[in-house]
Amino acid sequence: MSLWVFLQDNLSMALFLTWEHLWMVGLSLLIAIVTGVPLGILITKNRKLAQKVIGGANVIMTIPSIALFGLMLPLLAVFGHGLGKVPAIIALVLYSELPIIRNTYIAIKNVDPALVDAGRGMGMTKWQLLREVEIPLAIPVIIAGLRTAAVMIIGIAAIAAYVGAGGLGVFIQQGIARSHEAMVLAGALGVSLLAIVVDLGMGFLERRLTPRGVKA
Amino acid sequence: MIEYDSVTKIFGAGKTAVTATDSVTFTIEAGETAVFLGPSGCGKTTLLRMTNRLESVTRGSIRVQGRDIMEMNVQQLRLGMGYVIQQIGLFPNKTIAGNIAVVPRMLKWDKRRIDERIDELLRIVKLDPEIYRNRYPVELSGGQQQRVGVARALAADPDILLMDEPFGAIDPINRHQIQDEFLKLQAQLKKTIAFVSHDIHEAIKMADKIAIFKDGKLVQFDTPEIILMRPASKFVSDFVGADRALKVLGLLKVRDAMNREPRNVIQGEFTAEEALRFMEDNNFRHLIVLRENRVLGFVTRRQLKYEQGRVEELVEKFPEELTAREPLRDALSAMLMHDLMSFPVLDDSGGFSGTISYRYIQKSILELYSESQDD
Ligand SMILES: Nc1ncnc2c1ncn2[C@@H]1O[C@H](COP(=O)(O)OP(=O)(O)OP(=O)(O)O)[C@@H](O)[C@H]1O
Ligand SMILES: [Mg+2]
Repeated sequence: MSLWVFLQDNLSMALFLTWEHLWMVGLSLLIAIVTGVPLGILITKNRKLAQKVIGGANVIMTIPSIALFGLMLPLLAVFGHGLGKVPAIIALVLYSELPIIRNTYIAIKNVDPALVDAGRGMGMTKWQLLREVEIPLAIPVIIAGLRTAAVMIIGIAAIAAYVGAGGLGVFIQQGIARSHEAMVLAGALGVSLLAIVVDLGMGFLERRLTPRGVKA
Repeated sequence: MIEYDSVTKIFGAGKTAVTATDSVTFTIEAGETAVFLGPSGCGKTTLLRMTNRLESVTRGSIRVQGRDIMEMNVQQLRLGMGYVIQQIGLFPNKTIAGNIAVVPRMLKWDKRRIDERIDELLRIVKLDPEIYRNRYPVELSGGQQQRVGVARALAADPDILLMDEPFGAIDPINRHQIQDEFLKLQAQLKKTIAFVSHDIHEAIKMADKIAIFKDGKLVQFDTPEIILMRPASKFVSDFVGADRALKVLGLLKVRDAMNREPRNVIQGEFTAEEALRFMEDNNFRHLIVLRENRVLGFVTRRQLKYEQGRVEELVEKFPEELTAREPLRDALSAMLMHDLMSFPVLDDSGGFSGTISYRYIQKSILELYSESQDD
């Protein structure tokens, strides 16, 4: 089978691209978490702001990824980063923001107001309430948002090969250019497999981090 | 002590403004339980929530232990008041122990003291610490959760408790039980309690004073007896119900009405003949038979006719035992159930201490009624 032969001949390349793919996605997610989660929490205090932020993130989501790379190219070219990992990671971060911000916002908003009332009535400060009650209760939904984001940007990262970001998209892109079927297949299957594994892993994390008393 | 001084709360402004409480003035004395009572929407919860500043006061002032709450640090104010909300509100992500520990932890108690306190409180609310300490709220029944809610409010031993329908979410049988337990607890703790209820029975049972509200206005603030016997308006009498005399029976105890020197009593060693003559001479329908101050039962004239021997061999047992501490309502119910005009009353050690009868029950009600008329 030609896929098998191709992989045997290009094993180190395949492993390298997988690794490259993973860390681009991982780094992007990390940046999206440290910006998106606090932003999601912040906007629970202000409905108008929440509408704007979530609306904005929604707009970004609707831009096709290939178009987004195109739009960023002239902007980033000013700093000499029009191609390569920088535009890729910026795009991946932007796409991750919506599910992360939205889920954080919804999760915190959905905490039973009676619990907030009880906490405040007992003398908890806003910060204590957030740390001890609201965030722990919101964790499962926040992680569900991360999971959606992760699976989504694993796919988008494959397209980033077109702006020279590397990753498994390289096999797909070059395979198509050279009409090398096995190569395209290796890239496509690699991306799919990665998405499935990450999805399963995040699902496991979601269950692990759900506070015991909240599990159904 | 909690003093409400012309407390007014207006939600919103202009056309949509709602006056939730309207110039409410009354005082809950230290160590007393005041029950806020009234129909839905009359402002009970709002008044409670203003007390710990979860709602602001539009006009007027509230003083707690003599200090205006607006001059106090809001966190300090709240830490000094246990708060039980209607929806129980246990934190589902924390264990029972974790829930109870919230306020002590904020007060920076050390871990050992907190752990000891958790076990102590769980025992107080009748939950075995070994079993429940590390459980989560979802693993408890509604009634058990409500007990934990009370334990959590008591955690740092505050002088004041604010309780919004704390026993609302449990079935009637468990509710009576937890009310009884709470009353016993309060007899020792002597907290100052603001207790919201919409159940007149609960109010009568739990209150030292009842505050009845209508459309945000305080319409009467009095002891349960006076509220029942002398309602200040038609609204109050309608609210307490047409059966208010019966409700007084739930409030008064057998000891308030009993006959402590009944004459229809006979010692077991007398003969049937002597007993019969004693009954005929005094026109008694039945006699209570005693031996060494223990109640053996009763005898009637019909039973004794043509009988010989000692009365103690002829007695019929009473179907129920009544103690001086039981509500008159239970005594009356026993009389109706068993078709007996009077029952012996036992003291705490089971000794005979008097009798209770229809006539004495009625007399005590009438006395209470005339007392409240002329004070
Ligand atoms: N946050 C709020 N905003 C506007 N109106 C409010 C608010 N909270 C309460 N109200 C209004 O104030 C009035 C009193 O409400 P409150 O909750 O104090 O009644 P309650 O006596 O506790 O009733 P219930 O027995 O149903 O709990 C009601 O008309 C209610 O609609
Ligand atoms: Mg209410």
